[in-house]
Amino acid sequence: MDQTALFVVQGLNALALSALLLFIALGLTLVFGIMRIVNFAHGAVYMLGAYVGATAGQATGSFWLAIPAAAVAAALLGWLFERLAFRPLYGREGTAFLLVTFGLALCLTEAIRLTWGADARRLEPPEFLGGVVFVLDEPFPSYRLFLIAAGIVAAGGLWLVLHRTRLGLLIRAVSQNPAMAGALGVDVRLLRGAVFAIGCGLAGAGGVLAVPLITAYVGMGASVVIDAFVVVMIGGMGSFVGTVAGSALVAATQTFGNFYLPEMALGITYALMIVVLLLRPGGLFGEEE
Amino acid sequence: MTNRLSRRRLLGATAATAAAGLLPLPAFHGSARAQAGTLRLGVPTAVTGTWAPLGAQVVRTSRLFAKTVNAEGGIDGRKVEFLIEDTQGVPANCLRKAQEMVEREKVNILLGLMASSEALAVMPKLAEWNALFISSINGAGSMTAEAYVPNMFRANTSGPMGARAIALWLEDQPATEFFSLSLDYAWGHSSVEVFEKLITGMGKKAIGKVFAPVGTKDYSTYIARVRQANPQALYVALTGDDGTAFLRQAAQYRLGEKVQIVTELVDLLNVKPVGESAVGLVGSSRYTFAYDTPANVDFVKRFTAEYGEVPDTFDGEHWQSLQLLAAAIRKAGSTDTKALIQALEGMELTSVKGPIKVRACDHQAEQQGFVVRVEKRDGYPHPIPVVIKTYPAARVTPECRKASY
Amino acid sequence: MSRLPWLAGIAALAAAPIALAGFHLGLLTEVLILGLFAMSLDLQLGYARMVSFGHAGPYGVGAFAAALLMAKAGWPLPCALAGAVAITAVVAVPVGWLCCRAGGVAFAMLTLAFAQLAYAVAYKWQSLTGGSDGLAGVPRVAGPFGLELFTGRVGYYALTVALVGSALLAARAFVASPMGRALVAVRENEARAEALGFDPRRLRLAAFVLSNALAGLAGALYAGHVLFVSPELLLWTVSGHVLVMVILGGTGTLFGPFLGAAAFLMLEHEVSALTESWALILGFIFIVTVIVMPEGMWGLGARLLRGARRPPAVEPRHAAP
Repeated sequence: MDQTALFVVQGLNALALSALLLFIALGLTLVFGIMRIVNFAHGAVYMLGAYVGATAGQATGSFWLAIPAAAVAAALLGWLFERLAFRPLYGREGTAFLLVTFGLALCLTEAIRLTWGADARRLEPPEFLGGVVFVLDEPFPSYRLFLIAAGIVAAGGLWLVLHRTRLGLLIRAVSQNPAMAGALGVDVRLLRGAVFAIGCGLAGAGGVLAVPLITAYVGMGASVVIDAFVVVMIGGMGSFVGTVAGSALVAATQTFGNFYLPEMALGITYALMIVVLLLRPGGLFGEEE
Repeated sequence: MTNRLSRRRLLGATAATAAAGLLPLPAFHGSARAQAGTLRLGVPTAVTGTWAPLGAQVVRTSRLFAKTVNAEGGIDGRKVEFLIEDTQGVPANCLRKAQEMVEREKVNILLGLMASSEALAVMPKLAEWNALFISSINGAGSMTAEAYVPNMFRANTSGPMGARAIALWLEDQPATEFFSLSLDYAWGHSSVEVFEKLITGMGKKAIGKVFAPVGTKDYSTYIARVRQANPQALYVALTGDDGTAFLRQAAQYRLGEKVQIVTELVDLLNVKPVGESAVGLVGSSRYTFAYDTPANVDFVKRFTAEYGEVPDTFDGEHWQSLQLLAAAIRKAGSTDTKALIQALEGMELTSVKGPIKVRACDHQAEQQGFVVRVEKRDGYPHPIPVVIKTYPAARVTPECRKASY
Repeated sequence: MSRLPWLAGIAALAAAPIALAGFHLGLLTEVLILGLFAMSLDLQLGYARMVSFGHAGPYGVGAFAAALLMAKAGWPLPCALAGAVAITAVVAVPVGWLCCRAGGVAFAMLTLAFAQLAYAVAYKWQSLTGGSDGLAGVPRVAGPFGLELFTGRVGYYALTVALVGSALLAARAFVASPMGRALVAVRENEARAEALGFDPRRLRLAAFVLSNALAGLAGALYAGHVLFVSPELLLWTVSGHVLVMVILGGTGTLFGPFLGAAAFLMLEHEVSALTESWALILGFIFIVTVIVMPEGMWGLGARLLRGARRPPAVEPRHAAP
């Protein structure tokens, strides 16, 4: 493989990875922006999406039905949890949410293991995405190109919702000043439920999209949430543009870093985050608290 | 502690009420119910967490063993009961659970420990506890080398032995340039070290290696690295979900068309979710259900009747360790730790993996090395590993107290 | 607070070696160590609202330092513990100086990043730390002058009680000191405190270093207790668990975290002995606890003890960071 091909393939690899990160990180940043809570259960919700998607895909034989099934299941769970567990906690310190989402992560992970067992579940993409395209004579999986497209669609779709719909307007208003928005008659409670559901739905969709690469397995949610936190922090908590930029930066750092400096793989993302946060404590596109 | 039994029972009652009978209870039976003379075996293993799929194998095979021997009247007339507890694969938990089993539940035989770090944490304590530990999973070479303790026996194939078997097979293959991709974990490091040493000793070339952190999800950048190095063959030492993720992604990049992939560990756990694209994969195997001996055919039949699927690698390995223990108890006529150690040293047995001999000098069980190829066979919903080469114990077992060759 | 609970607590700890069998004394030792670990986090979290998400960092550094000082340098146990605390404190100064530049979630993520870097170093530096296998069989080196007193199980328990007790007293003294009060003033209203002439960053750094040094002590005691260390001690999950212990027990109380640690460890240990689905029960308990016990276990206990007439000891705090 010559240098040009290598560079192009690695660039595409980074984009595909950043698309996957984006699904998880967008949900996190959306929830943080409007609720100021750090959701520990996000990784478990991502895992739920993967399992529901794999099962739905297997049952219906359609990959295209698996994605909405996963997203809807995850969103429903988010909506329910917001109503039952978050409602009593608004006005309390952020640490309360930390504990409650930690509890949810424990429950959800075990519920998934009980339901599906310990063995991994698979889901194959449709035939036309299962092959390769040749990039400068190098075989490159079509599915990864699809992931890049899916990432663009999700980010673009969310941007449109945030900037072109009434819901988006309300979300941005509450995100900037919840007290003011509440005083102006916005139903903040309903909005929180909706946002949490959307965030979880995105994570669920991200989960099912990852299944063709890594299968659905019990440990898949554990570390992914930390990567997503890093993305969100680098971009700036609550910043849409920042999250997009953050996921690209983290994906590129991991893809190229693990290639040229594989011995640093465990620490390189954190080193990047330290540098960014020391230079800009609010993240690249965020404001300092 | 005098009120131990009542406390356990109380807790049990509370939890049972809380769970309203919805939750599966493990194969644990409170000491209150333990009959006199019942042999209780401690299994602190990873039921949940990253290692859960392997832990599930240990649990189900333990249950099958108890069912089988108890139906035959037990070992030497003593019924067998397993105390299975979840360590999540964390050494700190494993130490605590193991210590509780020994000191509170009066168990003196431990089995089924999962991570090498768990085993290495427990091993220095065994003498103080006067307990015996028989490994059925742990591959770290050091356990029978610099970390050797007299109260530990390894019934299973170690990591270096797996690397040795596949290296021996490659000696007769045309490929001469190798690249290694391995888990950044003690097992992976020792496997690659052994492999590279053996390959270069054969006059072949090791042209590079890379270690991926445990839990790596995206292998694309490592695949690009292999493509750039352009070896004739790729040696892979990845396990569990990491191995599955790599094999799937390698197939998606059509890596196998350019490079021959050989692996240190072929598990059904990986083969099933990889599916058709695993066909043709060659690798070392610690145990495969397809090994055709009477003892194994019998085990596979029992296992399939019980669970509706064929046993995987660590089902077989764990079964072998339990067979070894049963034989040792019969030979010693006792379950006393010292007597069992004496009985195990030098013991010979024909197990599901063929003849094994526990050598006295470092407590490693000498056993055959298998090389398998993944093939599609009628009657199975997934491709299966088929034995293509068997190496005698003398060729795959390292020298005493050595982790290398 | 009256003296009675104190005396009762001391009496119970003193009676433990007689009343408890070997295994339970070990478990109690572990509870005390984890309690100290959680309490050290409470110094930051409860009194300065610094939500560290990397408290496994100092804990693991202390554990590795103590283990290495005993195993490789052959130091006696008390010296190794002291050395480990010193090393942790020294490491905490530059790390804290950098982390305290940021507040809120950025502070949390910076501490996480440093702890993860420490994990990476411990994982990769195999010749020193044993890499992923860790260091097993660490000796509990007895010193000269009859210090082998502490190497037995009861002796080690006594040493743990003494050190944890001293650490608790030190933490209380810090909280009651002018510096501790200033820290609370900064927590409540940073702008006003600054106008009064306090330097918030320096105060936070002081809390950070003290908190880390005590976490280092906890880690060192843990290493001396189980005689095994591995990089997992530095992993983010450990940071998450200790955070849960503090919140469960009650923040800003110093005693609460001991309750939280005991509850966390005992629940996990006992429930996982009963059902493999222990996580389901534990998670449910956490969710319910947060909802019904806003002040944590200590807050609830204190309120029950005092009766409902008197105001709670914990000042209610508003507005998430």
